[in-house]
Amino acid sequence: MSVFTLPQAAKEEVLLKELSALVEHHREKCEPYERILAASGYTPADSIAGLPWLPVRLFKNLELKSIPDDEIYKVLTSSGTTGEVSKIYLDKESAAEQTRRLGATVQSVLGPKRLPMILVDTKAMLKDRKSFSARGAGVLGMSNFGRNHVWALDNEGHVDLPALKEFLEKYGDEPFLIFGFTYLVWLHLYEVARDNGLDLSNGILIHSGGWKKLIDQAVSPEEFRARLAGVGLTSVHNYYGMIEQIGTVFLEGKSGGSLYCPDFADIVIRNPQTWEEQPVGEPGLIEVISTLPTSYPGHIILTEDLGVVHGVDDGDWPGKRFSVLGRLPRAEARGCSDTYREAA
Amino acid sequence: MTTIRYRFGAEGDLTAPSDDRLTVGDPRVIDFLGKLARKLLVPAVARRHPELGSLGFFLRPAELHRVVKHMQRDDDAIVFPRGNVFHVPPANVDTIFVYSWALSALAGNHNVVRISERSATAADTILGALNEVLADADPVIGRTQRMITYGRDDAVTGALSKWADLRVIWGGDSAVEAIRKHPLRPSARDLTFPDRTSWAALSAAGWRAAEPARKREAVLGFTNDAYWFDQAACSSPRTVFIVGSDTGDVREEFIELLIEVSGQRGWEVDAAMAVEKRVNAYGLAATGAISSMEFPANSVTAMSLVTVPDAPRRWIGAGAFPFAEVSSLLDLVPAMNRQDQTFSHFGFEAEELREFAQALGGRGVDRIVPFGSALTFGSIWDGYDLPREFTRLTTLSL
Repeated sequence: MSVFTLPQAAKEEVLLKELSALVEHHREKCEPYERILAASGYTPADSIAGLPWLPVRLFKNLELKSIPDDEIYKVLTSSGTTGEVSKIYLDKESAAEQTRRLGATVQSVLGPKRLPMILVDTKAMLKDRKSFSARGAGVLGMSNFGRNHVWALDNEGHVDLPALKEFLEKYGDEPFLIFGFTYLVWLHLYEVARDNGLDLSNGILIHSGGWKKLIDQAVSPEEFRARLAGVGLTSVHNYYGMIEQIGTVFLEGKSGGSLYCPDFADIVIRNPQTWEEQPVGEPGLIEVISTLPTSYPGHIILTEDLGVVHGVDDGDWPGKRFSVLGRLPRAEARGCSDTYREAA
Repeated sequence: MTTIRYRFGAEGDLTAPSDDRLTVGDPRVIDFLGKLARKLLVPAVARRHPELGSLGFFLRPAELHRVVKHMQRDDDAIVFPRGNVFHVPPANVDTIFVYSWALSALAGNHNVVRISERSATAADTILGALNEVLADADPVIGRTQRMITYGRDDAVTGALSKWADLRVIWGGDSAVEAIRKHPLRPSARDLTFPDRTSWAALSAAGWRAAEPARKREAVLGFTNDAYWFDQAACSSPRTVFIVGSDTGDVREEFIELLIEVSGQRGWEVDAAMAVEKRVNAYGLAATGAISSMEFPANSVTAMSLVTVPDAPRRWIGAGAFPFAEVSSLLDLVPAMNRQDQTFSHFGFEAEELREFAQALGGRGVDRIVPFGSALTFGSIWDGYDLPREFTRLTTLSL
């Protein structure tokens, strides 16, 4: 069972139809969305790239939902760097659907059975209310796809070596799942495995969380893969996703280096001058596209991440394959009331 | 305790009593400022930092004498310096601290200017010029005029606030609120420059009647006003009111010229700013404040306001222009308030503008200036006659 099956042309045909219908659905159900489209002179599109997108930050500034208040089942929040919070409204159906689709996506690399699972994190993090929303939700969401979980870090954030050894003794001979944020995997799992000769060769690693902290330590994605292979961990899948498009993750293929879009999702790289779609190989802003958001108009979102498409229908899976290159800096104004915040 | 970095003037206790006395229009100060003006007007400097050219122009001796003359009285009041003045200028409008300080020095005050840690290269150039002139100046200048940089330190701000007879706070509402936590002496007071909003207005009749060259010149002036400080200075025009009827043609031509001129002048808007503008425009559309938005180039975002009071009063990015049509300047009067500072205009009859100013009645808008002059500093600013604010009066009746 894989959700990475459709070649690009076939995918676009399906998605264009579904997304155009979604545009109409949200126009009808979400007044702010309808106003935005009206103000920008929306006309139906004949290509995915021609469909109207919303800037991701809009979900921090506005309440955007396409369901009545009494149908709100869950409100997801993400804390941004500047303290702004995205609010994502789900009804019961969309909450179930995003969990199901996320499951189908990761099962494309894990297989249908739940695997024994190492969480490269600390249980204590779940109690930390501040970091809970983003990191905790990620860990909890992913923990559904495993069983017999072990936390790699103790409550103080130190590596729990006895627990890891015990886990590997019990389950190390069959496939097992490892999940964690990229920099935690690097700092706490890679080095410990190397220094203590842990055998991770049956592990399948799924990791996310951006490369910034690793690049600060001069570790490139290529080196990350190569070093993990050095401790036997060769099945490694990075993913890219965001709370504003919950349930949709763009998953790294088995050869590494490229992220792929599941059948119900796609990306467009936009030139930040012309706002047109960039050709293969030209970097630009990443627009994420998914048919999952039905309860809020998050089906086509322009992120503030930079990325590049490496190729189409020429990789581990069909469709576009791409990389995330970094973040667009936040615009800052100079001016009179750029105040003495430090003055107090 | 944060260390104080002395950028200009004698190091040492900033709040110690001083025996030095300066007079209003003290020749030693005029001499100093005149020499500073010459340094700033050197073509190489003015080319690199055009804003320093304007500053140099403001500080040339003829202008200084005019200001000093304006400080004098023709009644029986004698004019004296106010005393000790503590200036807290904004971080990123590099030249404000010099205007604020120079007028106060010209009034004969002892000054301490707090220069932001985040000040930019133009500020460094000015400080370089100040210190070069200081080397040959009368030592009283260095003893009475000090510029310092220090980090977040309530003790320093508190001590200088107690020392001051007048505290000058630039940098918007939050700066005013933060600095005001520090008490002044009972006899002292604040001169505050809070957050402001500025506007532009275009007479459709005046525009249609203008020669192409004049239109171009107007747009060039407007472009400088708008883009110089990323449209974020207090005086930067944001919303453009077009006065007349069926003004679609005026708006279209104006935007076309704006794209062309801003491109020629190299006012570039990067991807981050373009995204910022999209976020803000979409937000205004979502709430129903605007009925249309166009993104003809990253440098220019054009929006149609639904009503005049919907005009945003916060910064919405560099090159973001809400437009609204009104039939007369007087229609704008009810929407103007105390927060409004500069109103740039093009194409109006003098009488229309006078009538508008009278109708405002001082309840909003401090400056009504032609396109291209929005950022030009004047000694009357934010409704204050600064030379007067920097002096005090003794009456003598015989």
